[in-house]
Amino acid sequence: MDGIMTQNSQKEKLSGKDLINIGIYAAIYLVIMTAVSMLGFIPIMMPMLAVLCPLVGGITMMLFFTKVKKFGMITIITVIIGAFLWVTGMGYWPFIFGIICGVLADLVARSGNYTSKKKAVLSHGIMSITIFGCFLPLYLDINGYFATRTSFGSEYIEALTKIFQPWTAPVIFGCSFVFGILGALLGQHFLKKHFEKAGIV
Amino acid sequence: MKLDRGILMDPRTKLLILITVTTFALGGAGGEATAKMVPVLCMVPFVLLLTAKRFKTALIGIILFAGSSLLLSSANAHNMGGFLYYMILGCCGLLGRFLPCIMMGRYLMESTTVSEFTAAMKKIHVSDNIIIPLSVMFRFFPTVMDEADSIGSAMKMRGISFGGKHSSKMIEYRLVPLMTCCVNIGEELSAAALTRGLGGKVKRTNICKVGFHFQDYIAIAICIVPWILLIMDVVK
Repeated sequence: MDGIMTQNSQKEKLSGKDLINIGIYAAIYLVIMTAVSMLGFIPIMMPMLAVLCPLVGGITMMLFFTKVKKFGMITIITVIIGAFLWVTGMGYWPFIFGIICGVLADLVARSGNYTSKKKAVLSHGIMSITIFGCFLPLYLDINGYFATRTSFGSEYIEALTKIFQPWTAPVIFGCSFVFGILGALLGQHFLKKHFEKAGIV
Repeated sequence: MKLDRGILMDPRTKLLILITVTTFALGGAGGEATAKMVPVLCMVPFVLLLTAKRFKTALIGIILFAGSSLLLSSANAHNMGGFLYYMILGCCGLLGRFLPCIMMGRYLMESTTVSEFTAAMKKIHVSDNIIIPLSVMFRFFPTVMDEADSIGSAMKMRGISFGGKHSSKMIEYRLVPLMTCCVNIGEELSAAALTRGLGGKVKRTNICKVGFHFQDYIAIAICIVPWILLIMDVVK
């Protein structure tokens, strides 16, 4: 296997092993994320996901970042995470966010040559903004949406608009970024404490 | 396990339904022009789950959906007020909005095999860079969940669980072993996949027959209606 690796690492193109690695880490990340989402299954708790998912997901991602050597890997994994959120019913915004944040995160990581730890932390922060896409449909055109539900009475519309006030949007946005960075720091702590010792990195 | 899968559909049709449901039922696109279509679209995932013989999932979904809408309308009818009312509104409003999409996602994931999915993706010319990670991911999900389950029960014995003695250590004591063993399994998996020619330069073949049938055309027809309404609304 080492022979294949050295053979391919000279080229910029992603090898089969890189793509399989992306799949494996995406699977681990998404299982953990789904488990965390189950904790916040009470819909009122949903905004908390912007805090918990980046925080816990940081551990997996930091391990993944040690395997990243070429441009494109971070982009693809973020797009896949976004697509998964779309497919599991969070709307198409996470997918669009996934593409944008993925490319940005990849560029940041590349500027650190995929070895800089600080750039990796920042890159994970940008990646985590993808989560914000899940909440965007709640803010976009909220009146237009509830206009179609007049059968529930005007009080209902009023109350729901009150819960999703526009000012909470930037808060969730900021949370996903800040906790993405904190999660990455936590991940690097674990990396040093456990995975380097176990010889995985 | 998947011998009797009920009525089969092309994965591309399923994707189209999913996109339509998320756009109109969750995103609320089109406003009043498409409002009449929304209840129909919300019902589509449940009908599909029934045709795929996923009775349990469909039943849970229908009960949740009907329950949340009933609770909402009764809360409105009684002119409730105060904190409880807001809680009901928040919970049911969100549930009713997200549930059809989540159910559609469940249907897509449960009724499609990896090979079918790969074949359909190839037909719409998605790059290998996306298809390979996706197929590995779908293959790897059950493994990760299995491992997480075993680690969970092992840690429960040591009191590292919800309500246990050391519940604060949950993140570290569950995630680190999970990731360690998943990475090791992943190494083996990638070695196995490489020996079978994944990531090689030759074109891979697929024996799955993917194509549109009668049921696909019906589903596509239902999906096109709200899009036409949306376009007409914009043009007007």
